[in-house]
Amino acid sequence: MFGPLGLSLAPVIKANRGIYRWIKPFANWYVNVAGYRKLGLRYDDLLVEERDDVQRALGRLTDREAYDRSFRFKRASQASVMHVDLPKDQWTKPAEDVRYLQPHVESVAKEDNERRVWDTMAVERKK
Amino acid sequence: MLAVRASAARSASRLTRNFATVVDAAGVKVAAVDNGEPTSSVTFLFKAGSRFENKPGVAHALQNFAYKSTTKRSALATVREAELYGGVLSSSLSREYLALTAEFLRGDEPYFVDVLSSFVTDAKFTRHELQEYVAPVCAAESTVAASNPATRALELAHAIAFRNGLGASIFASEHSHVDVETIKAYASSVFGKSNLAVIGTGISQDALTKLLEKSLGSLSANAAPPSSPTSYFGGETRVDAHSGPQTVFIGFGTTGAPSAELAVLAAHLSPQPSVKWSEGLSPIAASIPKGASVQAIYLPYSDASLFGLLVQGATAEEVKIAGKAAVSALKEVGNIKAEDVKKAVAKAKFSAASTLDGRSSLASVLGSKLLSGPSASVEGIISSIEKVDASALSSAVSSLIKAKPTYVTVGDIKSLPYADELGL
Repeated sequence: MFGPLGLSLAPVIKANRGIYRWIKPFANWYVNVAGYRKLGLRYDDLLVEERDDVQRALGRLTDREAYDRSFRFKRASQASVMHVDLPKDQWTKPAEDVRYLQPHVESVAKEDNERRVWDTMAVERKK
Repeated sequence: MLAVRASAARSASRLTRNFATVVDAAGVKVAAVDNGEPTSSVTFLFKAGSRFENKPGVAHALQNFAYKSTTKRSALATVREAELYGGVLSSSLSREYLALTAEFLRGDEPYFVDVLSSFVTDAKFTRHELQEYVAPVCAAESTVAASNPATRALELAHAIAFRNGLGASIFASEHSHVDVETIKAYASSVFGKSNLAVIGTGISQDALTKLLEKSLGSLSANAAPPSSPTSYFGGETRVDAHSGPQTVFIGFGTTGAPSAELAVLAAHLSPQPSVKWSEGLSPIAASIPKGASVQAIYLPYSDASLFGLLVQGATAEEVKIAGKAAVSALKEVGNIKAEDVKKAVAKAKFSAASTLDGRSSLASVLGSKLLSGPSASVEGIISSIEKVDASALSSAVSSLIKAKPTYVTVGDIKSLPYADELGL
């Protein structure tokens, strides 16, 4: 719950087709109002990166992905300084808004959890 | 005398009778001996040395990728569980073989055989493990090897003597990058049943066979990767180096199966004394200056051998004197006395027999025999050394010297001698 990805009901909703059909329009409206796509960003660009586990996950991006992320930040920072959204053709398209960092963050969290389990394991002598 | 000499061959044959070589039901060659030790070891030997790599540095990277994440358990789980069991996992690379070894207490063989098999059958080879764990280790090992003049001289000697194949360096280049796809492709090409020999010590043949049948079922039946037959070229090279002793390697190569004559020659010339702090009986020992050292190096491979003398010293003058003494001693072997041949044969027999004592060297000797052909005979090594006499030795040496020498100098190349200055 206090991890970088936060508490999410998304898997539950996606599993149920009926609820998904009702909630998806609200989700689309929310994304538009949030406005990160108008600055050319993706959702995973917004993840809190001042955390050790997210830093490790960022180290696992390919060189191309890391470069594209830096470019998006630079472009969004310039737009923010000018207090203007980007022109419409530079907005992030829904097909491009891929969760590229989420799998890496999840695998890092899994590894950290495994390390904690191994560190606190109770070891018994074999009889 | 005769009784003493015969018993060495007899105990070697006793050792081989304990090894029953069987082609496993899973298609893998297995040999195991149980001498009642408290610990056991299992070695997976693949013909996946630097000779067979398709891109430079892949074999070194694959060796360092050993025991990282598989689909069954992560790298951390492997390490922690092995530590809780109390075992040692190691991997080693030579020019022809890649060895994965697990040493453990008796009774833990199911877990450790499973660790070895799961790396061979389904390792993950993730990009972040290469970047975070494997590449730094490869770079560090290559840097250490490059800063040691003896290692550097030997790597260059192989490159000059054999060019491709055996000439490829064991170590990855310090700054080149191999990517995971290359490593994955190489692993899937060399990890195959007909390319694998499993050697166990302290474990019974049936137990090991049963465990392997269970865990290696999904391994593909790859044959050994292709390799062209080795030819010997020879040549000379000089390399500048600023740390470590001045080094000269004077080498000669032969093609064909390794011969016992060269092993006897190495034992004859080697200044390593059998009694500590004595000078020893080598013909070179008396003429080496104080700060210099000479080592006789004999490296047999499956279809070629490299024989040489590694001369090291603090200054280039010492190296020149020691090198001249070494070369003249080598040429004098043509007139060797029968008594000296007996001494050399005894020394060579002892070093051959003592390799069958140690666990790791036994695994590599036996594994190479298993992988080279159906008839694996360990006692043949010692009996062929016994048969060497003065004429065989002198004819071997004369044919060795006739070929072009492999001459490598590492150090202050302005002052170190050239090949003709040493009499080559």
